[in-house]
Amino acid sequence: METSRSCKNCKKKTVIRDEIGTLVCERCGVEQEFDNFQSHFSGVDGPQGTFIRIGSSSSKGDYDYKGLKIYHATQKIEEVCTRLGLSSASINDVRRMMEQITEGELGAGNWFNIFIGACSYVVMRKNRGTSFSMAEIAAELGCELHELGRMVIRVINYLNLNNLPDFDIIMSFERAIKYCNCFSSNVPVEKLDKMIKVGRLLLNCSVKWFLTTGRQPLPVVVAVLVFVGELNQVKVSIEKVAKELHAGLVTCKKRLVELKETLVKAAQALPWGKNVTVKNIMQNAPLVLQYIEMKSSFKTGEKMKFCEMGGFDLDEVVNECLKKDDFDIDNYITENYSSQCFERESGNSDSAAGTNFDNSDTGKILLEHSSNVYKKFSSGNDFVKSVDRGGEDYSNKAKKDFSLRMCNKTWTGKSDLSRKLFLEEILEKNVGYDNMPPSFVAGVLACKRRREKINAAKQRINKIMKPSSSAPGEQKSLTLVKCSQDRKKIKRKADAMNVDWEDYIIETLLLHQVKEEEIEQGHYKRMLDLYVFDSAKTSDILKRRKIK
Amino acid sequence: MADQVLEGSQPVDLAKHPSGIVPTLQNIVSTVNLDCKLDLKAIALQARNAEYNPKRFAAVIMRIREPKTTALIFASGKMVCTGAKSEQQSKLAARKYARIIQKLGFPAKFKDFKIQNIVGSCDVKFPIRLEGLAYSHGAFSSYEPELFPGLIYRMKNPKIVLLIFVSGKIVLTGAKVRDETYTAFENIYPVLTEFRKTQQ
Repeated sequence: METSRSCKNCKKKTVIRDEIGTLVCERCGVEQEFDNFQSHFSGVDGPQGTFIRIGSSSSKGDYDYKGLKIYHATQKIEEVCTRLGLSSASINDVRRMMEQITEGELGAGNWFNIFIGACSYVVMRKNRGTSFSMAEIAAELGCELHELGRMVIRVINYLNLNNLPDFDIIMSFERAIKYCNCFSSNVPVEKLDKMIKVGRLLLNCSVKWFLTTGRQPLPVVVAVLVFVGELNQVKVSIEKVAKELHAGLVTCKKRLVELKETLVKAAQALPWGKNVTVKNIMQNAPLVLQYIEMKSSFKTGEKMKFCEMGGFDLDEVVNECLKKDDFDIDNYITENYSSQCFERESGNSDSAAGTNFDNSDTGKILLEHSSNVYKKFSSGNDFVKSVDRGGEDYSNKAKKDFSLRMCNKTWTGKSDLSRKLFLEEILEKNVGYDNMPPSFVAGVLACKRRREKINAAKQRINKIMKPSSSAPGEQKSLTLVKCSQDRKKIKRKADAMNVDWEDYIIETLLLHQVKEEEIEQGHYKRMLDLYVFDSAKTSDILKRRKIK
Repeated sequence: MADQVLEGSQPVDLAKHPSGIVPTLQNIVSTVNLDCKLDLKAIALQARNAEYNPKRFAAVIMRIREPKTTALIFASGKMVCTGAKSEQQSKLAARKYARIIQKLGFPAKFKDFKIQNIVGSCDVKFPIRLEGLAYSHGAFSSYEPELFPGLIYRMKNPKIVLLIFVSGKIVLTGAKVRDETYTAFENIYPVLTEFRKTQQ
């Protein structure tokens, strides 16, 4: 029998494999060279054949495919995790997690990179360590966010990590402010520390005000970074920060506006709150933050009695402010609190002008400074003039030019809100203003708008169906009766101009006897399909009308 | 309260809906077996409102205007009907599609009609603290605001998935019968009230 191999001795193709797997020449009996043949690979039932080994590390053993794959995978894990700034302990955690999931096989290829990213993210969340967001990891790995997200969810589900801690937005902010090029390069360390405290306070407030619930955390972080930067005269552009943190620019801008708007609402508690707008919130922000800080320092139900401590009662001032249209904060404070403040200043008025607006231990606000701040504020804003009547010197003690920066300097950040808090602790705090989620508010407003449209549609339908029985109180019918023919035409034209597609749909739905509560929900397509373009129901309605 | 009217002209049955809120059905997905092999190219050429691009999707996509639905018709004779707003509408639409196929010369039957999924939605009219809900119901919920703004709540009994949003809007999906949707909502409503945000 001829074989494909020829004998090294007689050159005849009579080479066979004997019982123990060695190649021998059937004709001359010479043993041939070893050809890696293995009769039993990986056990008795394993495959049989000649195997090719790749590479060799020592004389003792060769690297097979699996060994090489695991070696490269381990290298990759270390590389990616180091790039993400994970500690060696965390890297070990990541590797262990990946081995557990893949049953020690690990892997190779593009999916494996995403897998490393997902496990790193889960370990970071689990250990409450370095807080990289998914977007940042995805950018680092060069993959899509949704790919990484899907992998993260699979890892969480596979490992049954039900109570994984939330993404730490405060840690993300701290890391961003420390390592972001826009800040780290041009901000002194002390200032950076203060900025971090302000940022924490704003983020805690954002959590309380529903600005973070159901929203991507990174745009909120960017918004707070930009706000804090602006507050501390650090020139940062939102575009650069958003790009550096891999956050969507439009969302970041929207979150910044939302943050400012909410602070404006919070500022309404200040005596001059009605003059605070989104445009001038940066000037008022130090005071608003101090107000929030003071409010949060008191337990629920405890009234702020600053007057007893040498300051003034902000609640009382606010109440007075609300009572009077032409309220003047300075007169009010001078009348009610001056003696206490003068006592506290103990005659050192000059130095007092430059001292703290807020005493961090007691949360006091000194008369002079509030007066100066308000004066400064009013001089820079035309719309405050309505409140600022007299224009006289509020307090002769304060001659120095008071800048808001100085006020900002007094902000100590020693309140709880300037620290990292648990959700429960944040929710327990009273920050002086309570906000509803923007999406909820939008929903309520949309319902209200639709309710108005329903009422208007009902009026229009009534007018057409019962023109003679129009109520005497109805403004439009009265106008129609009284006005001349020309004016009628103009009015009709104007009415027609005001009616849009939504009004027509509402009218149609009302005519098809759809419940107003349902119309208020605004699912027009569904309602049209269900009640209008349904021949069975429409014919029923028509039948009923004929019977009537 | 008993006179409260929500859906259609029917007053809300508070025994069935103790919350006083009835989820509205937004989409019904059903399947039916036409029990004959179909020449999709022929269907696409003859039928109006039909599109067929075998490179993109291996089924004819057909639409009708009343009930406004879309059907996916496969060469095996299986059909999926989507977009109906009620179970009756879904069945009626499926019958209409089967009739169209019959008229095109195929011996189509109407076998094994089944509702596969019901999607409903409602509004509890109060904001919900999703973080708190995710924390206390961690075994059932998944809340990853980096990926999706809502909380995904996987209810075990009935086996329904709920998407809960901070605005108080709820989406319920995965039901085979509408009662499952109602039961799931009645189960979750007391939980949601625990995490409602009230204006202080």
